Amino acid sequence: MKRYDLIIIGAGPSGLSAAIEAAKRGMKVIVFDENARPGGQLFKQIHKFFGSKEHKAKIRGFVIGRQLLGEAEKAGVEVRLSATVIGLYPDKEVVVREILEPEEGTAGETSAKEAVFHYKGDAIIVATGASENMVTFDGWTLPGVMGAGAAQTLMNLHGVRPGRKVLMLGSGNVGLVVSFQLLQAGCEVVALVDAAPRIGGYGVHAAKVARTGVPFYLSHTIKKAEGTDHVTGVTIAQVDSRFQFIEGTEKHFDVDTICVAVGLSPMSQLLKMAGCEMDNSGKGGGQIPVVDESGATSVPGIYAVGDVAGIEEASSAMIEGRMAGIRVAEYLGFDDKAGADTAFDQNEKALEGLRQGMFAPGNRGKKIEKTEEGIPVSENLLTHGFVADDEIERYPGVTHKAGVHPVMECTQNIPCNPCQDACPKHCISIGSNITSLPVVLKDSACIDCGMCVSSCPGQAIFLVNEDAGPGKATVTLPYEFLPLPEEGDEGYGLGRDGSRVCDAKVVRVRSSGAFDHTALVTIEVPAEYAMKARFFVKA
Amino acid sequence: MRQDRNRDLGPFVPREGDERIICRCEEVTQGEIRRAVHDGMYTMAEIRRYLRCGMGLCQGQTCSRLVAGIVARELGIKPAELAPASSRSPMRPIEMKVWADEETDDSKVRRA
Repeated sequence: MKRYDLIIIGAGPSGLSAAIEAAKRGMKVIVFDENARPGGQLFKQIHKFFGSKEHKAKIRGFVIGRQLLGEAEKAGVEVRLSATVIGLYPDKEVVVREILEPEEGTAGETSAKEAVFHYKGDAIIVATGASENMVTFDGWTLPGVMGAGAAQTLMNLHGVRPGRKVLMLGSGNVGLVVSFQLLQAGCEVVALVDAAPRIGGYGVHAAKVARTGVPFYLSHTIKKAEGTDHVTGVTIAQVDSRFQFIEGTEKHFDVDTICVAVGLSPMSQLLKMAGCEMDNSGKGGGQIPVVDESGATSVPGIYAVGDVAGIEEASSAMIEGRMAGIRVAEYLGFDDKAGADTAFDQNEKALEGLRQGMFAPGNRGKKIEKTEEGIPVSENLLTHGFVADDEIERYPGVTHKAGVHPVMECTQNIPCNPCQDACPKHCISIGSNITSLPVVLKDSACIDCGMCVSSCPGQAIFLVNEDAGPGKATVTLPYEFLPLPEEGDEGYGLGRDGSRVCDAKVVRVRSSGAFDHTALVTIEVPAEYAMKARFFVKA
Repeated sequence: MRQDRNRDLGPFVPREGDERIICRCEEVTQGEIRRAVHDGMYTMAEIRRYLRCGMGLCQGQTCSRLVAGIVARELGIKPAELAPASSRSPMRPIEMKVWADEETDDSKVRRA
């Protein structure tokens, strides 16, 4: 039996973060992960993250994953992959199934030999994450029905397109983000469906899907998947306030793939096995361990961080991991209380910063009528995925002036502020409250650099010139699809709802390294569409 | 949470969707789960032993939530009131020949 100061189960964002903090303080740390690659779900997150600088905002998830791995390696963390923890015992013994090095003379052997090993840690951090929930409907076991996360794994890790025509069930951030990524992979997303009456995820994520023309069906769910040996179609229907189907509201779509994004369940069985006190109320997304702010469970020396301790997202998981790593080091005497307290408090502040705004854990399920600024929220955004033309003008990021200026269609209070630092001319202000809606400062001089457009993880910033020659306006929009349009391309301007509203011509395409793969496409449209055209399709 | 076993659940009435498979690994249907409750299986542990649902390849990671929903509805309680099944090693499916093959020489492990 091998001994370590700290054994971490799960090499995702929280596990690696915990490992880094502990190893930096001199601990001998090993991280086990059952997958062949480290990083948990981070390496399939190809979108830019929300948050502030401290939360690695506007950096794409897989890049954050690379940074974490680099940091872990530098700190001397040992990461053991394809290593499945099959048991965790209260005396902090871990049983792991691992793959053995083929022995001499067995070169012809194809199947890898596996064996079981025992390890003992002075402390254990469980960071096993979560798995996808499912809903059942007739035909849900047909090939072609899959979790949205599975579709994301196929596309972004293995380069396999999950299907051609996809229906997405679930309008939380996972459903919205994966829908956009399916579009990026070249799939047609025929509809985004949710049984709830309102969209669950960030409005900006919904808006960037809606403007490409994907229809949203709220208060709808899947009635059946059709097909004999694989999915060939799907029927959805409207549901009433008690989630019962309303007769006669059925709609059919020809699809080959149905993605399900209906939440996650913590994979907390190891903690239960180890005798940790569990909370079965369902508030953390399923069975979760009872933990304090450092992730300590009821069993001394066993900690739980990340989704396994309650479903949140990667940014908070990373901070929780760091907090646990710091406390574990203190618990085992690798750091003094003063040093640990300082580092811990810093992270706790960052975590509090992330848990603010309309989507804060405390606001889950609540209907919010007004923004922090007292502006009515867009009802249309919550039910159709886009802010209606007659709603958009009431937000402080949407202003008019001569020349090129930013129009920020950011209408919900979320903890995110990269736009504020992106502008070299300081045109944009969010202020010290990270959830405030961005404001375009009156006397600022926009130089049309596009840094704000590319910095916005929600792709909600546009550069508009309402008077670009007689009867003409230009709109610069963020564009993350390939192939990129080319200068001179003729086509259509799409409205926020994805409908063709006007003719449009591409007058400029920018894709500098500083934009980090968010290209800037400038289209010329009739002047009256300056505040309406928000996407471009080639004729 | 103890369930009152003397409670009258009424007769088992077939319902739409009873044919639907809930536990994919062990191919257990909604009807079988509902009937098991009427047969007196009031806890997740009993259901699991009676029908094997949640004991296949995914070890209940996909279906245990669905099964709990069906059982709770049949009993007229909230899923949170249903005690979850116990968790024990091996937490993931493992071949007996591997489980029984305990290695003491850690140097043989293939390094990632």
